[in-house]
Amino acid sequence: MSAVRLIARDELRLMRRNRVAVIAFALLVLLTLIAAMTSWTHQQGVADLRARFQSEADRAFDAQPDRHPHRVVHYGHFIFRPLGPLAAFDPGVDAFTGNSMFLEGHRQNTANFGDVRQSSQLIRFGQLTPAFVLQILAPLLLIFLGYGALARERERGTLRQLLAQGVSGRQLFAGKAVALGLVAILIGLPAMIGFALIAGQPGALAGPMAVIALGYAAWLLLWTLVVVLVSASVARSRDALLALLAIWAVAVILLPRIAPDIAGQAHPLTTRLETDIAIQRDLRQLGDSHNADDPFFAAFKQKILDQYGVARVEDLPVNYKGLLAIEGEKLTSRLFDRYAANSFATQSRQSTVMNGFGLLSPTIALRHLSMAAAGTDLAGHRRFLDQAEAYRFDIVQRLNRLQAEAVSYADDTAKDPGADRRKRVADSHWDRIPDFAFRPASATALVGAALPGLAIVIGWLFAAIAAAWFVSGRLQRNSK
Amino acid sequence: MNPAAPLLEMSNITVAYGAHRVLDGISLGVGAGEIYALLGGNGAGKSTTLSALLGFIQPTAGDVRVGGIDPARDPDAARRQIAYLPESVALYEHLSARENTAYLLALADQAQQDEAIAEAFGATGLQADAWDKRLAGFSKGMRQKVAIAVALLRHVPVLLLDEPTSGLDPRATADFNRLVEQVRDRGAAVLMVTHDLLSAADIADRIGFLEHGRIVDEVTASGPDRFDVRALHHKFGAAPADAIAA
Amino acid sequence: MSPIGHELRLLLRARLAAGALVLLALLTAASIVAGLAEVRHQQQVIERIQPQQAADVAAISQWVSKIEDPGSAAYYTFHPTWDSPSSLAFAALGMRDVAPYILRVRALGLEAQLYDGENFNPELALPGRFDFAFVLIYLAPLFVIALFHDLHASEREAGRLTMLRALPRSRRLWWRRGLLRFAFVYFAVALPFAVGAIVSGTGLPTILAVLTLIAAYLVFWVALALLVGRMSWSSVTNAAALAACWLVLTLVLPTLAHVAINRAIPLGQGVELTLAQREAVNKAWDIPRETTMARFFASHPEWRDTPPLPPEFHWKWYFAFHQVGDESVADRVRAYRDGLQARDAAARALGWALPPVGAQAALTRLANTDLAGQLAYQDRVRAYHERLRQFYYRYLFNDIPFGAPDFEKAPKFGSIVPSK
Repeated sequence: MSAVRLIARDELRLMRRNRVAVIAFALLVLLTLIAAMTSWTHQQGVADLRARFQSEADRAFDAQPDRHPHRVVHYGHFIFRPLGPLAAFDPGVDAFTGNSMFLEGHRQNTANFGDVRQSSQLIRFGQLTPAFVLQILAPLLLIFLGYGALARERERGTLRQLLAQGVSGRQLFAGKAVALGLVAILIGLPAMIGFALIAGQPGALAGPMAVIALGYAAWLLLWTLVVVLVSASVARSRDALLALLAIWAVAVILLPRIAPDIAGQAHPLTTRLETDIAIQRDLRQLGDSHNADDPFFAAFKQKILDQYGVARVEDLPVNYKGLLAIEGEKLTSRLFDRYAANSFATQSRQSTVMNGFGLLSPTIALRHLSMAAAGTDLAGHRRFLDQAEAYRFDIVQRLNRLQAEAVSYADDTAKDPGADRRKRVADSHWDRIPDFAFRPASATALVGAALPGLAIVIGWLFAAIAAAWFVSGRLQRNSK
Repeated sequence: MNPAAPLLEMSNITVAYGAHRVLDGISLGVGAGEIYALLGGNGAGKSTTLSALLGFIQPTAGDVRVGGIDPARDPDAARRQIAYLPESVALYEHLSARENTAYLLALADQAQQDEAIAEAFGATGLQADAWDKRLAGFSKGMRQKVAIAVALLRHVPVLLLDEPTSGLDPRATADFNRLVEQVRDRGAAVLMVTHDLLSAADIADRIGFLEHGRIVDEVTASGPDRFDVRALHHKFGAAPADAIAA
Repeated sequence: MSPIGHELRLLLRARLAAGALVLLALLTAASIVAGLAEVRHQQQVIERIQPQQAADVAAISQWVSKIEDPGSAAYYTFHPTWDSPSSLAFAALGMRDVAPYILRVRALGLEAQLYDGENFNPELALPGRFDFAFVLIYLAPLFVIALFHDLHASEREAGRLTMLRALPRSRRLWWRRGLLRFAFVYFAVALPFAVGAIVSGTGLPTILAVLTLIAAYLVFWVALALLVGRMSWSSVTNAAALAACWLVLTLVLPTLAHVAINRAIPLGQGVELTLAQREAVNKAWDIPRETTMARFFASHPEWRDTPPLPPEFHWKWYFAFHQVGDESVADRVRAYRDGLQARDAAARALGWALPPVGAQAALTRLANTDLAGQLAYQDRVRAYHERLRQFYYRYLFNDIPFGAPDFEKAPKFGSIVPSK
């Protein structure tokens, strides 16, 4: 064991004396701290902004004057997706999804105004977050610091010398790996400091944070082993560097770009425009609300009349137009749900294809686990959209019921100049409509969503350990 | 060019880096059909001498002439007269002997026919089965033969050899020495810097002793034994042990 | 054999170099194929929405033509707009994966419609597209580094440098080798591109512009590699230094600049604009109709001398307050747009210092897939929307019945395909 420690200590001393290595390390640490700070203040800023918008929207909604309930259905409501605390570590798809939504009757709008369309093209070069630093940059630093670990010794002939002195190949490998692993831990530390900041916030969940910490630790250790493995397997340190750079470029840069293209081609999404048209078509097939003799609506009318035991809609104790609106909203909403479910099913299939590439590139698996645990992945976005739709349906139906109960059918259909006044409902009603409250995912759900990615990363780590065992055992034979 | 003048000529060459003089007033001349061995230990100034002849460095003082040309002023013209063999002849490992030769000739602006290359290989004694093999498996001696073949094909009047026999076994050394004699006999001026006294005594027409940037002594071959090797050993007293061991 | 022939053999015998070049050509070709496929998909979508849209309009026409109500026609009929990909879009998809390239609008307030998003999977958009721009900007420099980092150093490390230097006119050797390697990298990137451009029908000036851009971008990296190579470091140090340069130029500085630009140029969030527009539109229900009409006529005097509003609901009032709502946020719209352009301009300016950013900006500009392309599309939608309004206003304000044939008369979105 002491041989391992000696070798590790020697390797670390060498790194310390390498000015370039020390500078690169310091820069990366600095960059991580900058990333943690900017990301955290950005997240705070965005969260505050959205909270402010939300309260303004709530106030504006409540402050509406006396109105016809159906006006309020069209006045609609704005809701904003709150940003969870872990988004400061990994904002995931936040910049790519819209974060505000306009909710109104009969229509399902998109989430609009994502950062990606409000920022310069630079956003496509990546966002400076702790997750970005650890996913993309940290492995590169480990490569720079470690490519020569064993290749250098072999190149200079000191490998044979060390082995001749009775140090085993495994001890040598372990020593180098321990040294680089310590550096990896030091690289990961500043990001964890950022984590500590987040942990102080309300709503930060211990479980997902533990998964993220575990995932990134496995990721950095995986790279540590890969670097030493390649260094142990090639003849010259230059070859080690080039091979590692190639592995990095393929695994971290290339595959994560190719995978979504393949996923997108395999499962194309229906455009929003086509979805809109399809929903309108389906609605028409259900019944034509503009046609008084439409069988569907005629049947509905008959059902209502029978229910109340009256012969004419004018004799109903409630406003028939309100009932019709409730029924209409139910129909459209059911279609919205169906089409949204289809779209999400396609998107999930796309994501499944892409995450399948995690078997080839652990970067994809790590990215997935990181976003999933932070609640900033597609599922997190869907959670918002689902809740938004449920909320939309709820408030629209409340307003429709209000129309049915508080506005008389006679007033509602009247066209005289004073009718507009009589159709209106007191503004005190708007206060009673509940505000939107986003329910974040539970810790268990987040951890559960992150587990497949974590399993892949850890699987890779075990594969690397096995390879290390094999290669280090043959180091003696391949010492020259 | 004055035919009487030596092909290689250095007069009073000084190369100084600040106060430190690497070469301190060297003068020597090598004529056509002559082998001059510059013998010296580590740090005596052997490589600097070669660098000055190749025009890599400009001497602080003194005059260098290669075939009448000052290499510091017109290095390309000077290099056209010179074939240079570094201590370890490194060629392109993934090219064959023939391809290496053709390539180096092309670099020197000399296209060559296959027959000429074959003839040159024959002259150097490179076994025919090695001509089209990649260089990766060649010994130093074989590489030197390829390099000499290039020199022969370039028909240059001057051959510069940098420690040619270090790392060669005795038989390869003898082979190489015969080859250099052959080049000389074709009329070339050969300058070899070396610390191998035995080789120098074997083939040199003159031997200069280089110490601390100065030629401290110069002896000329004479008689059937050419040099009194024993006496040279004494003269070269401060020489490192490996000069004799080699 | 000519000296170039010898160099060629030397280069192609080196397994690393030859393999790298083949790989680069393959990756470029793959990116071109992927880009062409994506563009073809977008074109197909644009084509296939036309009959669907026609069917949708026909269904509306069926019941509206019975009541001949222009208001219902204007309210219920959506009109498609589309942004056909330019013939260079395959090379740089730019924002086309996150911004809609088809959008249908109706004659109501435009500001509530213009910023609608498209269905896309954000997890797929996050890493960025695998298009030609990606291969050129990110990957090609890595290949340049692999081929150029040891141009000198490999000869020194193999012990051949002195021998080569001792040859006459040896400096030409480096030129020949450098140019040969550059030519190979260039053609590995440029040839697949040129083939793709010809397939896509790109105009010659644009092809030449991109070919020049490729050359300029690669020359930058080659020059950087040669500069580092002059330091007489070992090949491994060269490679590490160059990889560090690549990292800083393509990843670290752009991300830092992104943070800096978004800080330096705060942008009134687009959502503020739509919130304001919605307040303006809905306020109309709570103020006298005449106030709204007065404001409307102030900016649209051509409809002033039309019949007065009847006591009951009339669509022309409805459309007038939508128009007034749009106009009330015109300043905000301009400010929002200026902010977007300022951010874009800042990034563009940065492109002079950061070649990867500059190359990306230049490519997406040529391909019309950048912000300017997006805004140009929005402008075309705006202009079209204006024509739609004018079309319906004629019926609404003059109380002209709107029959089935009138649906045919609605202005069609003329997609002005960029000439490039």
